Amino acid sequence: MQYKLVKNKPNQIMYINGNWHGIIPFEPANRHYQEYLKWLEEGNTPLPANEENN
Amino acid sequence: MPFIGNKPSAVPLTSADITDGIITNADISSTAGITLNKLSGNPSFRNIVINGDMQIAQRNTSVASITTSGYRTVDRFTTLILGLGTWTQSQSTDVPSGYGFTSSLKMDCTTANASPSASDFLMFRQIFEGQNLQYLKKGTANAVSLTLSFWVKSTKTGTFIAELFDNNSRGICASYTVSTTNTWEFKTITFAGDTSGTISNTNGTGLTLNFWLGAGSNFTSGTLNTTWASSINANRAVGQVNIADSTANDWFITGVQLEAGTSATDFEFLPFDVNLNRCFRYYHFLGGESAYQNVNTVAWFGTGDCVGHFRFPVTMRTAPAVSKTGNWATLGGSGTAGVSLGIDQNTTKNCQLGATGGSGGTGGQASTLRANNDTSYRLTFDAEM
Repeated sequence: MQYKLVKNKPNQIMYINGNWHGIIPFEPANRHYQEYLKWLEEGNTPLPANEENN
Repeated sequence: MPFIGNKPSAVPLTSADITDGIITNADISSTAGITLNKLSGNPSFRNIVINGDMQIAQRNTSVASITTSGYRTVDRFTTLILGLGTWTQSQSTDVPSGYGFTSSLKMDCTTANASPSASDFLMFRQIFEGQNLQYLKKGTANAVSLTLSFWVKSTKTGTFIAELFDNNSRGICASYTVSTTNTWEFKTITFAGDTSGTISNTNGTGLTLNFWLGAGSNFTSGTLNTTWASSINANRAVGQVNIADSTANDWFITGVQLEAGTSATDFEFLPFDVNLNRCFRYYHFLGGESAYQNVNTVAWFGTGDCVGHFRFPVTMRTAPAVSKTGNWATLGGSGTAGVSLGIDQNTTKNCQLGATGGSGGTGGQASTLRANNDTSYRLTFDAEM
């Protein structure tokens, strides 16, 4: 699992898991967002957003 | 009520006439009106558990090599696992005969662990929204008891633990016994109401139901917590057998019902569409029904990006995480969709959905975004707990 910032979308994060990729809203009740926060707390850093697109 | 002479034109019934057993058989006129709010209890939607008959399995009907926690097959139920074996989980047609069930959940041990580490565990779980549980009156003198009923079939016999856990780390456990190997058995457990604590009136966790299937000593070394109390790990699964101790072990469950009151009623079967729509609140997906299954109509606002509106089938619990696998493309317009999701304005009801990273689009032109000859294509919306 890897996370990646989304260009011009400060309120969401992209996750990449093999062929899967998805968009997680920064919504406190969303369990994927909670998992992302935990991942950050563990000292991880998301990949930067692509310049052109995602 | 006895009478002498002409029968009175109207004799009011009293509660005594009903409770003393005088009325043994009576018909209600087909034209009679019944005031529903005079009926006590909660006859419809009394089952707090969603998909308790394991009828809905949107994600998969079988998943092998499970060693980590997650939602895998039947909707709304998740498996929590740490260290205790490797499993194939499936939606099974093995059901108790003659009770109306068509599906069960099966756990099949494929790699055993007969010597769990202290922190190991395996459990089957459903989490309930707090806003649906306020009628339990938790934290008041009128707190309502809950009765859990279910059918279970297990190769491994012995003591098992069922547990309720609230969102304030209070819990209560009960043990039950699987008596006969590989035989469907019906179990009922009544949990007392909790006169302490609270359940938040939100879309977040209000209560969690755990079926323990194995546990290390961190969860078994104390005394089983059989009254509502602040949860202590050592008291949560005392006596629990380890169903991961042999690859011969299977475990099945269906007909899971959790309801207010001190007795179990018949399982509340819901129509398939009702059951499915209740599950949609937490998870749904598009794809797999045709090679070019349509997603939505999109408009190009540049050469590489297109966007459109996507309405969810029901209001979701929270704004969902949206994910995609497989190939999609646009039909019409001049561009080709890129590989990435474009999501914005994501709410519980709908989102702005399109593709980014394409090429050849012309601003203002419209297209249909669809699977690109790919039945494995999936676009999922996940708001599970």
